[in-house]
Amino acid sequence: MEIDTETVVKIARLSRIKINEGESVDIQKDLNRIVEFVRKLGEIDIDGIDEFNFGKTKIEDMRKDSVTIYDNTDDILKNTKNKNQDFFTVPKIVE
Amino acid sequence: MNEVELTQLGIKDSRDLLNKKEISATELTNAYIQNIEESSKLNAFIEKTFDKALMQASKADKIIGTDSQKSLCGIPLGIKDLFCCKNVKTQAASDILENFIPPYESTVTQKLWNEQAIMLGKLNMDEFAMGSSNETSTYGPVINPWKSTGSHDSLTPGGSSGGSSAAVAANLCTGATGTDTGGSIRQPASFTGTVGLKPTYGRCSRWGIIAFASSFDQAGPITKNVTDSAIMLKAMSGFDPLDSTSAKIDVPDYEQALGKDIKGLRVGLAKEYGLQNGDSEANRKLEEAIKILKNMGAEIVEVSLPHTEFALPTYYVLAPAEASSNLARYDGVRYGHRAKLDTNDSILELYEKTRSEGFGTEVKRRILIGTYVLSSGYYDAYYKRAQKVRSLIKNDFDEVFKKVDIILTPTTPSSAFPLGSKGTQDPVEMYMNDIFTVPANLAGLPALSLPVGLDELGLPLGVQLIGNNWQEPLLLNTAFNLENTLAFENNPKKWWA
Repeated sequence: MEIDTETVVKIARLSRIKINEGESVDIQKDLNRIVEFVRKLGEIDIDGIDEFNFGKTKIEDMRKDSVTIYDNTDDILKNTKNKNQDFFTVPKIVE
Repeated sequence: MNEVELTQLGIKDSRDLLNKKEISATELTNAYIQNIEESSKLNAFIEKTFDKALMQASKADKIIGTDSQKSLCGIPLGIKDLFCCKNVKTQAASDILENFIPPYESTVTQKLWNEQAIMLGKLNMDEFAMGSSNETSTYGPVINPWKSTGSHDSLTPGGSSGGSSAAVAANLCTGATGTDTGGSIRQPASFTGTVGLKPTYGRCSRWGIIAFASSFDQAGPITKNVTDSAIMLKAMSGFDPLDSTSAKIDVPDYEQALGKDIKGLRVGLAKEYGLQNGDSEANRKLEEAIKILKNMGAEIVEVSLPHTEFALPTYYVLAPAEASSNLARYDGVRYGHRAKLDTNDSILELYEKTRSEGFGTEVKRRILIGTYVLSSGYYDAYYKRAQKVRSLIKNDFDEVFKKVDIILTPTTPSSAFPLGSKGTQDPVEMYMNDIFTVPANLAGLPALSLPVGLDELGLPLGVQLIGNNWQEPLLLNTAFNLENTLAFENNPKKWWA
Protein backbone atom coordinates (compact mmCIF):
# COMPACT_ATOMS: atom_id res chain seq x y z
CA MET A 1 0.00 0.00 0.00
CA GLU A 2 1.26 3.45 -0.86
CA ILE A 3 1.95 5.97 1.90
CA ASP A 4 -0.52 8.83 1.34
CA THR A 5 -0.36 12.39 2.67
CA GLU A 6 -2.55 11.50 5.62
CA THR A 7 -0.21 8.66 6.63
CA VAL A 8 2.81 10.98 6.44
CA VAL A 9 1.06 13.37 8.83
CA LYS A 10 0.16 10.47 11.14
CA ILE A 11 3.65 8.95 11.35
CA ALA A 12 5.25 12.38 11.72
CA ARG A 13 2.99 12.98 14.72
CA LEU A 14 3.81 9.53 16.16
CA SER A 15 7.52 10.29 15.63
CA ARG A 16 7.16 13.71 17.27
CA ILE A 17 8.76 15.40 14.27
CA LYS A 18 7.23 18.58 12.88
CA ILE A 19 7.03 18.55 9.12
CA ASN A 20 6.11 21.63 7.15
CA GLU A 21 4.11 21.46 3.94
CA GLY A 22 7.12 22.13 1.73
CA GLU A 23 9.00 19.12 3.15
CA SER A 24 6.00 16.82 3.13
CA VAL A 25 6.00 16.12 -0.61
CA ASP A 26 9.66 15.09 -0.70
CA ILE A 27 9.32 13.00 2.44
CA GLN A 28 6.29 11.20 1.04
CA LYS A 29 8.19 10.45 -2.17
CA ASP A 30 11.25 9.13 -0.29
CA LEU A 31 9.20 7.00 2.08
CA ASN A 32 7.31 5.45 -0.82
CA ARG A 33 10.56 4.66 -2.57
CA ILE A 34 11.79 2.85 0.57
CA VAL A 35 8.50 1.01 1.06
CA GLU A 36 8.63 -0.10 -2.57
CA PHE A 37 12.18 -1.37 -1.98
CA VAL A 38 11.30 -3.41 1.11
CA ARG A 39 8.09 -4.75 -0.45
CA LYS A 40 10.28 -7.55 -1.85
CA LEU A 41 9.93 -9.22 1.56
CA GLY A 42 6.36 -10.08 0.57
CA GLU A 43 7.70 -12.55 -2.01
CA ILE A 44 9.03 -14.96 0.57
CA ASP A 45 7.27 -17.84 2.31
CA ILE A 46 7.66 -17.39 6.06
CA ASP A 47 5.21 -20.05 7.26
CA GLY A 48 6.57 -21.84 10.30
CA ILE A 49 9.65 -19.59 10.58
CA ASP A 50 10.42 -18.12 14.00
CA GLU A 51 11.34 -14.49 14.48
CA PHE A 52 15.09 -13.93 14.77
CA ASN A 53 16.80 -13.84 18.15
CA PHE A 54 20.36 -14.26 19.36
CA GLY A 55 19.38 -17.09 21.69
CA LYS A 56 18.07 -17.05 25.22
CA THR A 57 19.78 -14.88 27.84
CA LYS A 58 20.98 -17.01 30.72
CA ILE A 59 19.66 -15.75 34.04
CA GLU A 60 23.02 -16.51 35.69
CA ASP A 61 24.73 -14.16 33.20
CA MET A 62 22.57 -11.22 34.17
CA ARG A 63 23.81 -8.77 36.72
CA LYS A 64 22.27 -8.64 40.15
CA ASP A 65 19.42 -6.21 40.58
CA SER A 66 21.24 -4.17 43.19
CA VAL A 67 21.00 -0.50 44.06
CA THR A 68 23.82 1.73 42.83
CA ILE A 69 24.16 5.30 43.98
CA TYR A 70 24.70 7.91 41.27
CA ASP A 71 25.05 11.37 42.70
CA ASN A 72 26.80 13.61 40.18
CA THR A 73 23.62 15.53 39.40
CA ASP A 74 25.71 18.64 38.67
CA ASP A 75 27.50 16.95 35.75
CA ILE A 76 24.17 15.97 34.25
CA LEU A 77 22.66 19.42 34.70
CA LYS A 78 25.67 21.02 33.01
CA ASN A 79 24.16 19.83 29.73
CA THR A 80 21.15 22.14 29.91
CA LYS A 81 20.33 25.80 30.44
CA ASN A 82 16.73 24.85 31.15
CA LYS A 83 16.90 24.10 34.84
CA ASN A 84 15.67 25.33 38.18
CA GLN A 85 17.66 24.12 41.19
CA ASP A 86 18.08 20.37 40.58
CA PHE A 87 15.24 20.09 38.09
CA PHE A 88 14.82 20.35 34.31
CA THR A 89 12.25 22.92 33.23
CA VAL A 90 9.70 22.35 30.45
CA PRO A 91 6.58 24.20 29.23
CA LYS A 92 3.62 23.98 31.55
CA ILE A 93 2.08 20.48 31.35
CA VAL A 94 -0.79 20.67 33.85
CA GLU A 95 -3.40 23.44 33.65
CA MET B 1 63.32 9.39 12.59
CA ASN B 2 61.45 12.32 11.09
CA GLU B 3 57.79 12.97 11.81
CA VAL B 4 56.42 11.84 8.47
CA GLU B 5 58.03 8.43 8.83
CA LEU B 6 56.93 8.13 12.46
CA THR B 7 53.27 8.54 11.66
CA GLN B 8 53.42 5.98 8.85
CA LEU B 9 53.97 3.34 11.50
CA GLY B 10 51.00 1.48 12.78
CA ILE B 11 50.24 0.28 16.29
CA LYS B 12 52.63 -2.69 16.41
CA ASP B 13 55.62 -0.86 14.92
CA SER B 14 55.09 2.16 17.18
CA ARG B 15 54.79 -0.16 20.17
CA ASP B 16 58.09 -1.84 19.25
CA LEU B 17 59.94 1.49 18.96
CA LEU B 18 58.41 2.76 22.20
CA ASN B 19 59.47 -0.44 23.97
CA LYS B 20 63.02 -0.10 22.65
CA LYS B 21 62.94 3.56 23.80
CA GLU B 22 63.92 4.67 20.30
CA ILE B 23 61.03 7.12 20.44
CA SER B 24 58.99 8.57 23.28
CA ALA B 25 55.20 8.60 23.52
CA THR B 26 55.35 12.40 23.67
CA GLU B 27 57.39 12.54 20.46
CA LEU B 28 54.95 10.18 18.74
CA THR B 29 51.91 12.10 19.99
CA ASN B 30 53.38 15.43 18.85
CA ALA B 31 54.01 14.00 15.38
CA TYR B 32 50.33 13.03 15.10
CA ILE B 33 49.20 16.38 16.50
CA GLN B 34 51.19 18.12 13.78
CA ASN B 35 49.62 15.91 11.09
CA ILE B 36 46.13 16.57 12.45
CA GLU B 37 46.76 20.34 12.54
CA GLU B 38 47.71 20.19 8.85
CA SER B 39 44.71 18.06 7.86
CA SER B 40 41.76 20.47 8.11
CA LYS B 41 40.96 19.91 4.41
CA LEU B 42 40.14 16.28 5.22
CA ASN B 43 37.64 17.30 7.93
CA ALA B 44 38.30 14.04 9.82
CA PHE B 45 38.92 15.32 13.37
CA ILE B 46 35.95 17.29 14.73
CA GLU B 47 37.08 17.57 18.34
CA LYS B 48 40.74 17.68 19.30
CA THR B 49 41.88 16.61 22.77
CA PHE B 50 45.56 17.45 22.46
CA ASP B 51 46.05 18.63 26.08
CA LYS B 52 44.66 15.33 27.30
CA ALA B 53 46.78 13.43 24.74
CA LEU B 54 50.01 15.11 25.85
CA MET B 55 49.21 14.43 29.50
CA GLN B 56 48.55 10.78 28.72
CA ALA B 57 51.77 10.64 26.65
CA SER B 58 53.84 12.09 29.47
CA LYS B 59 52.37 9.51 31.84
CA ALA B 60 53.04 6.73 29.29
CA ASP B 61 56.69 7.79 29.02
CA LYS B 62 57.10 7.24 32.75
CA ILE B 63 55.42 3.81 32.60
CA ILE B 64 57.11 2.30 29.52
CA GLY B 65 59.61 -0.34 30.56
CA THR B 66 58.07 -0.79 34.02
CA ASP B 67 55.82 -3.58 35.33
CA SER B 68 52.82 -1.25 35.08
CA GLN B 69 53.02 -1.05 31.28
CA LYS B 70 49.90 -2.25 29.42
CA SER B 71 49.31 -3.36 25.84
CA LEU B 72 48.62 0.05 24.23
CA CYS B 73 50.90 2.20 26.38
CA GLY B 74 51.71 5.41 24.47
CA ILE B 75 49.71 4.54 21.32
CA PRO B 76 47.76 7.55 19.94
CA LEU B 77 44.23 6.70 18.74
CA GLY B 78 41.25 8.49 17.20
CA ILE B 79 37.72 7.87 18.48
CA LYS B 80 34.56 7.91 16.39
CA ASP B 81 32.11 10.54 17.63
CA LEU B 82 29.57 7.81 18.44
CA PHE B 83 31.52 6.82 21.59
CA CYS B 84 30.69 8.82 24.70
CA CYS B 85 33.88 10.10 26.29
CA LYS B 86 33.67 11.69 29.71
CA ASN B 87 33.98 15.49 29.57
CA VAL B 88 34.66 15.46 25.82
CA LYS B 89 32.04 16.92 23.47
CA THR B 90 30.19 14.00 21.84
CA GLN B 91 27.45 14.66 19.28
CA ALA B 92 27.23 11.60 16.99
CA ALA B 93 27.71 14.31 14.31
CA SER B 94 24.16 15.52 14.97
CA ASP B 95 22.75 18.94 15.85
CA ILE B 96 20.30 17.37 18.26
CA LEU B 97 23.22 16.56 20.60
CA GLU B 98 24.55 20.13 20.30
CA ASN B 99 27.38 20.62 22.82
CA PHE B 100 26.59 17.41 24.71
CA ILE B 101 29.28 16.61 27.26
CA PRO B 102 28.85 13.02 28.53
CA PRO B 103 29.26 12.59 32.28
CA TYR B 104 30.49 9.03 31.64
CA GLU B 105 32.86 7.02 29.44
CA SER B 106 31.86 4.21 27.05
CA THR B 107 33.12 0.78 28.08
CA VAL B 108 35.15 0.27 24.90
CA THR B 109 37.01 3.59 25.17
CA GLN B 110 37.53 3.05 28.92
CA LYS B 111 39.16 -0.28 28.07
CA LEU B 112 41.49 1.47 25.61
CA TRP B 113 42.51 4.04 28.26
CA ASN B 114 42.95 1.22 30.80
CA GLU B 115 45.47 -0.21 28.33
CA GLN B 116 47.16 3.24 28.42
CA ALA B 117 46.31 4.32 24.86
CA ILE B 118 46.33 8.05 24.06
CA MET B 119 43.26 9.96 22.90
CA LEU B 120 43.88 12.43 20.07
CA GLY B 121 40.23 13.44 19.61
CA LYS B 122 36.84 12.64 18.11
CA LEU B 123 36.34 11.63 14.49
CA ASN B 124 33.70 12.74 12.02
CA MET B 125 30.99 10.32 10.87
CA ASP B 126 27.54 10.16 9.31
CA GLU B 127 24.87 11.54 11.65
CA PHE B 128 23.98 8.82 14.18
CA ALA B 129 25.96 6.42 11.92
CA MET B 130 23.20 6.60 9.30
CA GLY B 131 24.88 6.90 5.92
CA SER B 132 27.40 5.31 3.60
CA SER B 133 29.31 8.38 2.42
CA ASN B 134 29.82 10.65 5.45
CA GLU B 135 27.60 13.26 3.82
CA THR B 136 24.93 13.23 6.54
CA SER B 137 27.30 14.66 9.19
CA THR B 138 26.42 18.04 10.65
CA TYR B 139 30.13 18.90 10.35
CA GLY B 140 30.11 18.32 6.58
CA PRO B 141 31.67 15.33 4.83
CA VAL B 142 35.11 13.91 5.43
CA ILE B 143 37.24 13.93 2.27
CA ASN B 144 38.98 10.69 1.28
CA PRO B 145 42.79 11.12 1.28
CA TRP B 146 42.79 9.04 -1.93
CA LYS B 147 42.01 10.59 -5.30
CA SER B 148 41.47 8.94 -8.68
CA THR B 149 44.51 9.06 -10.93
CA GLY B 150 44.65 12.45 -12.69
CA SER B 151 41.53 13.77 -10.94
CA HIS B 152 41.00 16.45 -8.31
CA ASP B 153 37.46 15.33 -7.43
CA SER B 154 36.75 14.93 -3.74
CA LEU B 155 35.80 11.33 -2.98
CA THR B 156 33.87 9.88 -0.08
CA PRO B 157 35.92 8.05 2.58
CA GLY B 158 32.86 5.83 3.04
CA GLY B 159 30.48 5.83 5.94
CA SER B 160 29.52 5.90 8.55
CA SER B 161 33.02 5.58 10.08
CA GLY B 162 34.51 7.84 7.38
CA GLY B 163 36.45 10.05 9.79
CA SER B 164 38.06 6.94 11.26
CA SER B 165 39.02 5.43 7.90
CA ALA B 166 40.35 8.72 6.47
CA ALA B 167 42.32 9.49 9.64
CA VAL B 168 44.05 6.10 9.59
CA ALA B 169 44.78 6.28 5.83
CA ALA B 170 46.15 9.84 6.15
CA ASN B 171 48.42 9.01 9.12
CA LEU B 172 46.47 11.17 11.59
CA CYS B 173 46.40 8.37 14.21
CA THR B 174 47.85 4.87 14.57
CA GLY B 175 44.36 3.33 14.59
CA ALA B 176 40.78 4.36 15.25
CA THR B 177 37.57 3.01 16.69
CA GLY B 178 34.60 2.54 14.40
CA THR B 179 31.14 1.06 14.70
CA ASP B 180 29.37 -1.15 12.20
CA THR B 181 25.59 -1.54 11.94
CA GLY B 182 25.33 -2.45 8.25
CA GLY B 183 28.89 -2.06 6.99
CA SER B 184 30.03 1.19 8.61
CA ILE B 185 33.52 -0.15 9.44
CA ARG B 186 34.13 -2.38 6.41
CA GLN B 187 32.91 -0.12 3.59
CA PRO B 188 35.03 2.88 4.73
CA ALA B 189 38.01 0.53 5.16
CA SER B 190 37.57 -0.73 1.59
CA PHE B 191 37.39 2.88 0.29
CA THR B 192 40.56 4.02 2.07
CA GLY B 193 42.90 1.02 1.85
CA THR B 194 42.65 0.25 5.57
CA VAL B 195 41.73 -2.87 7.55
CA GLY B 196 38.27 -2.78 9.12
CA LEU B 197 36.92 -5.44 11.45
CA LYS B 198 33.35 -5.85 12.64
CA PRO B 199 33.49 -8.37 15.48
CA THR B 200 30.85 -10.97 16.35
CA TYR B 201 27.74 -9.36 17.87
CA GLY B 202 28.41 -9.38 21.61
CA ARG B 203 32.22 -9.35 21.38
CA CYS B 204 32.48 -5.69 22.41
CA SER B 205 30.26 -3.89 24.88
CA ARG B 206 27.82 -1.37 23.41
CA TRP B 207 27.55 0.56 26.68
CA GLY B 208 28.17 4.26 26.14
CA ILE B 209 28.07 3.97 22.35
CA ILE B 210 25.22 6.13 21.09
CA ALA B 211 22.68 3.56 19.89
CA PHE B 212 21.47 3.33 16.29
CA ALA B 213 20.07 -0.23 15.87
CA SER B 214 20.88 -2.18 19.00
CA SER B 215 20.62 -5.71 17.59
CA PHE B 216 23.12 -4.81 14.83
CA ASP B 217 25.58 -2.26 16.32
CA GLN B 218 29.11 -3.47 17.06
CA ALA B 219 32.30 -1.55 17.76
CA GLY B 220 35.53 -2.55 16.04
CA PRO B 221 38.94 -1.24 14.95
CA ILE B 222 40.04 0.47 11.73
CA THR B 223 43.80 0.07 11.35
CA LYS B 224 46.68 0.18 8.90
CA ASN B 225 47.21 -3.59 8.95
CA VAL B 226 45.89 -6.90 10.28
CA THR B 227 48.29 -7.18 13.22
CA ASP B 228 47.16 -3.77 14.49
CA SER B 229 43.55 -4.90 14.15
CA ALA B 230 44.32 -7.94 16.34
CA ILE B 231 46.05 -5.80 18.97
CA MET B 232 43.29 -3.20 19.11
CA LEU B 233 40.44 -5.73 19.11
CA LYS B 234 41.92 -7.49 22.13
CA ALA B 235 41.86 -4.25 24.09
CA MET B 236 38.28 -3.49 23.01
CA SER B 237 36.73 -6.94 23.60
CA GLY B 238 35.19 -8.55 26.63
CA PHE B 239 32.10 -9.07 28.77
CA ASP B 240 30.60 -6.00 30.39
CA PRO B 241 27.98 -6.24 33.13
CA LEU B 242 26.54 -2.97 31.77
CA ASP B 243 25.61 -4.60 28.42
CA SER B 244 23.60 -7.80 28.80
CA THR B 245 24.20 -8.59 25.11
CA SER B 246 27.97 -8.64 25.54
CA ALA B 247 29.17 -12.24 25.68
CA LYS B 248 30.53 -13.89 28.80
CA ILE B 249 33.36 -15.67 27.01
CA ASP B 250 37.12 -15.42 27.20
CA VAL B 251 38.95 -12.91 25.02
CA PRO B 252 41.50 -14.74 22.86
CA ASP B 253 44.98 -13.36 22.18
CA TYR B 254 44.25 -12.45 18.57
CA GLU B 255 47.85 -11.42 17.86
CA GLN B 256 49.05 -14.88 18.90
CA ALA B 257 46.72 -16.41 16.31
CA LEU B 258 48.57 -14.71 13.44
CA GLY B 259 51.10 -16.44 11.24
CA LYS B 260 49.74 -19.97 11.22
CA ASP B 261 49.57 -21.51 7.77
CA ILE B 262 46.16 -21.91 6.17
CA LYS B 263 46.69 -25.14 4.27
CA GLY B 264 43.42 -27.02 4.07
CA LEU B 265 41.32 -23.98 5.04
CA ARG B 266 37.92 -24.26 3.38
CA VAL B 267 37.00 -20.93 1.80
CA GLY B 268 33.42 -20.48 0.61
CA LEU B 269 32.51 -18.40 -2.42
CA ALA B 270 28.83 -17.57 -2.38
CA LYS B 271 27.41 -17.57 -5.88
CA GLU B 272 24.91 -14.89 -4.86
CA TYR B 273 27.76 -12.44 -4.05
CA GLY B 274 30.51 -12.90 -6.55
CA LEU B 275 28.97 -13.13 -9.93
CA GLN B 276 26.28 -10.51 -10.13
CA ASN B 277 28.59 -7.76 -11.29
CA GLY B 278 30.19 -9.84 -14.02
CA ASP B 279 33.58 -8.53 -15.03
CA SER B 280 33.78 -5.80 -12.38
CA GLU B 281 36.82 -4.45 -10.54
CA ALA B 282 35.35 -5.88 -7.33
CA ASN B 283 35.31 -9.33 -8.92
CA ARG B 284 38.83 -8.94 -10.28
CA LYS B 285 40.07 -8.17 -6.76
CA LEU B 286 38.16 -11.18 -5.49
CA GLU B 287 39.90 -13.33 -8.12
CA GLU B 288 43.31 -12.06 -6.95
CA ALA B 289 42.51 -13.07 -3.39
CA ILE B 290 41.22 -16.48 -4.49
CA LYS B 291 44.43 -17.16 -6.42
CA ILE B 292 46.60 -16.36 -3.40
CA LEU B 293 44.48 -18.48 -1.07
CA LYS B 294 44.67 -21.41 -3.49
CA ASN B 295 48.45 -21.08 -3.71
CA MET B 296 48.57 -21.29 0.08
CA GLY B 297 46.73 -24.59 0.02
CA ALA B 298 43.24 -23.34 0.84
CA GLU B 299 40.33 -25.22 -0.68
CA ILE B 300 37.83 -23.05 -2.57
CA VAL B 301 34.25 -24.27 -2.23
CA GLU B 302 31.25 -22.84 -4.06
CA VAL B 303 28.40 -22.30 -1.61
CA SER B 304 24.94 -20.77 -1.72
CA LEU B 305 23.29 -18.23 0.55
CA PRO B 306 19.89 -18.29 -1.15
CA HIS B 307 18.23 -15.47 0.82
CA THR B 308 20.94 -12.89 0.10
CA GLU B 309 18.66 -10.84 -2.17
CA PHE B 310 16.37 -10.24 0.81
CA ALA B 311 19.14 -8.97 3.10
CA LEU B 312 18.96 -5.26 2.22
CA PRO B 313 15.14 -5.02 2.35
CA THR B 314 15.23 -6.86 5.72
CA TYR B 315 17.87 -4.49 7.03
CA TYR B 316 16.00 -1.38 5.86
CA VAL B 317 12.94 -2.47 7.83
CA LEU B 318 14.63 -3.62 11.02
CA ALA B 319 17.41 -1.03 11.43
CA PRO B 320 15.07 2.00 11.03
CA ALA B 321 12.55 0.31 13.36
CA GLU B 322 15.19 0.02 16.08
CA ALA B 323 16.47 3.52 15.32
CA SER B 324 13.00 5.06 15.67
CA SER B 325 12.83 3.57 19.14
CA ASN B 326 16.41 4.40 20.18
CA LEU B 327 16.20 8.00 18.96
CA ALA B 328 12.93 8.64 20.79
CA ARG B 329 15.02 9.77 23.76
CA TYR B 330 16.12 12.99 22.01
CA ASP B 331 13.40 15.32 23.19
CA GLY B 332 15.23 18.56 24.00
CA VAL B 333 14.45 18.30 27.70
CA ARG B 334 17.69 17.21 29.36
CA TYR B 335 20.59 17.86 26.95
CA GLY B 336 21.46 18.92 23.43
CA HIS B 337 19.43 21.18 21.20
CA ARG B 338 16.14 22.73 22.38
CA ALA B 339 13.99 24.68 19.93
CA LYS B 340 12.96 28.26 20.72
CA LEU B 341 9.30 28.10 21.64
CA ASP B 342 6.42 30.52 21.20
CA THR B 343 4.68 31.70 24.35
CA ASN B 344 1.76 29.32 24.12
CA ASP B 345 3.69 26.28 22.92
CA SER B 346 3.11 23.08 24.86
CA ILE B 347 5.46 20.21 25.64
CA LEU B 348 4.36 18.60 22.36
CA GLU B 349 5.68 21.59 20.39
CA LEU B 350 8.89 21.38 22.40
CA TYR B 351 9.39 17.79 21.22
CA GLU B 352 8.25 18.28 17.65
CA LYS B 353 10.13 21.52 16.94
CA THR B 354 13.31 20.32 18.67
CA ARG B 355 13.38 17.05 16.74
CA SER B 356 12.52 18.75 13.47
CA GLU B 357 15.40 21.22 13.86
CA GLY B 358 17.89 18.82 15.45
CA PHE B 359 17.76 15.79 13.14
CA GLY B 360 19.06 15.83 9.57
CA THR B 361 17.11 14.62 6.53
CA GLU B 362 18.37 11.01 6.44
CA VAL B 363 17.88 10.51 10.18
CA LYS B 364 14.32 11.88 9.98
CA ARG B 365 13.62 9.60 7.03
CA ARG B 366 14.74 6.55 9.00
CA ILE B 367 12.80 7.53 12.12
CA LEU B 368 9.67 7.99 10.00
CA ILE B 369 10.03 4.71 8.11
CA GLY B 370 10.85 2.91 11.37
CA THR B 371 7.77 4.37 13.02
CA TYR B 372 5.69 3.33 10.00
CA VAL B 373 6.81 -0.32 10.00
CA LEU B 374 6.16 -0.57 13.74
CA SER B 375 2.79 1.16 13.64
CA SER B 376 -0.51 -0.59 14.15
CA GLY B 377 -1.71 -2.28 10.96
CA TYR B 378 1.77 -2.51 9.39
CA TYR B 379 3.75 -4.29 12.12
CA ASP B 380 3.03 -7.84 10.89
CA ALA B 381 3.51 -7.03 7.21
CA TYR B 382 6.87 -5.36 7.68
CA TYR B 383 8.58 -5.70 11.06
CA LYS B 384 7.47 -9.22 12.02
CA ARG B 385 8.00 -10.52 8.49
CA ALA B 386 11.50 -9.00 8.34
CA GLN B 387 12.39 -10.61 11.68
CA LYS B 388 11.43 -14.00 10.19
CA VAL B 389 13.43 -13.37 7.02
CA ARG B 390 16.36 -12.44 9.28
CA SER B 391 16.11 -15.99 10.71
CA LEU B 392 16.23 -17.44 7.18
CA ILE B 393 19.36 -15.39 6.40
CA LYS B 394 21.01 -16.61 9.62
CA ASN B 395 20.03 -20.21 8.76
CA ASP B 396 21.71 -19.82 5.34
CA PHE B 397 24.99 -18.96 7.08
CA ASP B 398 24.60 -21.80 9.61
CA GLU B 399 24.25 -24.27 6.73
CA VAL B 400 27.24 -22.86 4.83
CA PHE B 401 29.49 -22.95 7.90
CA LYS B 402 28.93 -26.71 8.10
CA LYS B 403 30.86 -26.90 4.81
CA VAL B 404 33.43 -24.09 4.99
CA ASP B 405 35.53 -22.24 7.58
CA ILE B 406 35.33 -18.79 6.07
CA ILE B 407 33.41 -16.95 3.32
CA LEU B 408 35.12 -14.61 0.85
CA THR B 409 33.19 -11.78 -0.87
CA PRO B 410 33.84 -8.30 -2.24
CA THR B 411 33.44 -5.63 0.47
CA THR B 412 31.92 -3.02 -1.81
CA PRO B 413 30.53 -3.03 -5.36
CA SER B 414 33.04 -0.33 -6.38
CA SER B 415 35.85 1.85 -5.05
CA ALA B 416 35.19 5.27 -3.47
CA PHE B 417 32.73 7.45 -5.39
CA PRO B 418 32.69 11.26 -5.71
CA LEU B 419 30.90 13.22 -2.98
CA GLY B 420 27.42 14.28 -4.09
CA SER B 421 27.17 11.58 -6.74
CA LYS B 422 24.84 9.08 -5.05
CA GLY B 423 21.48 9.13 -3.32
CA THR B 424 20.54 12.74 -4.00
CA GLN B 425 17.38 11.84 -5.94
CA ASP B 426 16.72 8.43 -4.42
CA PRO B 427 17.81 7.31 -0.92
CA VAL B 428 17.73 3.65 -1.99
CA GLU B 429 20.62 4.24 -4.42
CA MET B 430 22.88 4.94 -1.41
CA TYR B 431 21.52 1.94 0.51
CA MET B 432 22.71 -0.38 -2.30
CA ASN B 433 26.29 0.29 -1.19
CA ASP B 434 25.77 -2.01 1.77
CA ILE B 435 24.79 -4.99 -0.36
CA PHE B 436 27.79 -7.17 0.59
CA THR B 437 28.20 -6.00 4.19
CA VAL B 438 24.67 -6.07 5.62
CA PRO B 439 24.22 -9.89 5.73
CA ALA B 440 26.96 -10.31 8.39
CA ASN B 441 25.17 -7.76 10.60
CA LEU B 442 21.83 -9.52 10.14
CA ALA B 443 23.43 -12.81 11.23
CA GLY B 444 25.66 -11.22 13.93
CA LEU B 445 28.81 -12.70 12.33
CA PRO B 446 32.36 -11.31 12.42
CA ALA B 447 33.62 -9.87 9.12
CA LEU B 448 36.77 -8.08 8.03
CA SER B 449 37.66 -5.91 5.05
CA LEU B 450 41.22 -6.21 3.77
CA PRO B 451 42.73 -3.97 1.07
CA VAL B 452 43.71 -6.00 -1.98
CA GLY B 453 45.19 -3.32 -4.21
CA LEU B 454 44.33 -0.41 -6.46
CA ASP B 455 41.68 -0.54 -9.16
CA GLU B 456 41.99 0.98 -12.64
CA LEU B 457 41.12 4.42 -11.20
CA GLY B 458 44.09 4.14 -8.85
CA LEU B 459 41.81 3.71 -5.83
CA PRO B 460 42.02 1.07 -3.10
CA LEU B 461 39.49 -1.72 -2.98
CA GLY B 462 38.96 -4.40 -0.35
CA VAL B 463 37.69 -7.93 -0.07
CA GLN B 464 35.57 -9.19 2.80
CA LEU B 465 36.14 -12.28 4.92
CA ILE B 466 33.13 -13.48 6.92
CA GLY B 467 33.67 -15.97 9.75
CA ASN B 468 31.42 -18.03 11.98
CA ASN B 469 30.55 -16.71 15.45
CA TRP B 470 33.61 -15.99 17.66
CA GLN B 471 36.02 -16.98 14.86
CA GLU B 472 37.90 -13.65 14.84
CA PRO B 473 41.26 -15.46 15.36
CA LEU B 474 40.71 -17.48 12.15
CA LEU B 475 39.45 -14.41 10.32
CA LEU B 476 42.50 -12.36 11.34
CA ASN B 477 44.96 -15.14 10.56
CA THR B 478 43.50 -15.69 7.09
CA ALA B 479 43.65 -11.94 6.44
CA PHE B 480 47.22 -11.86 7.78
CA ASN B 481 48.29 -14.55 5.31
CA LEU B 482 46.63 -12.72 2.42
CA GLU B 483 48.11 -9.40 3.51
CA ASN B 484 51.65 -10.76 3.53
CA THR B 485 51.39 -11.84 -0.09
CA LEU B 486 49.47 -8.79 -1.32
CA ALA B 487 51.93 -6.34 0.28
CA PHE B 488 49.51 -3.44 -0.30
CA GLU B 489 50.98 -0.05 0.57
CA ASN B 490 48.63 2.59 1.85
CA ASN B 491 50.32 5.76 0.69
CA PRO B 492 47.86 8.28 -0.79
CA LYS B 493 49.61 11.35 -2.21
CA LYS B 494 49.56 14.02 0.50
CA TRP B 495 47.57 16.81 -1.24
CA TRP B 496 45.92 18.16 1.92
CA ALA B 497 48.88 19.65 3.79
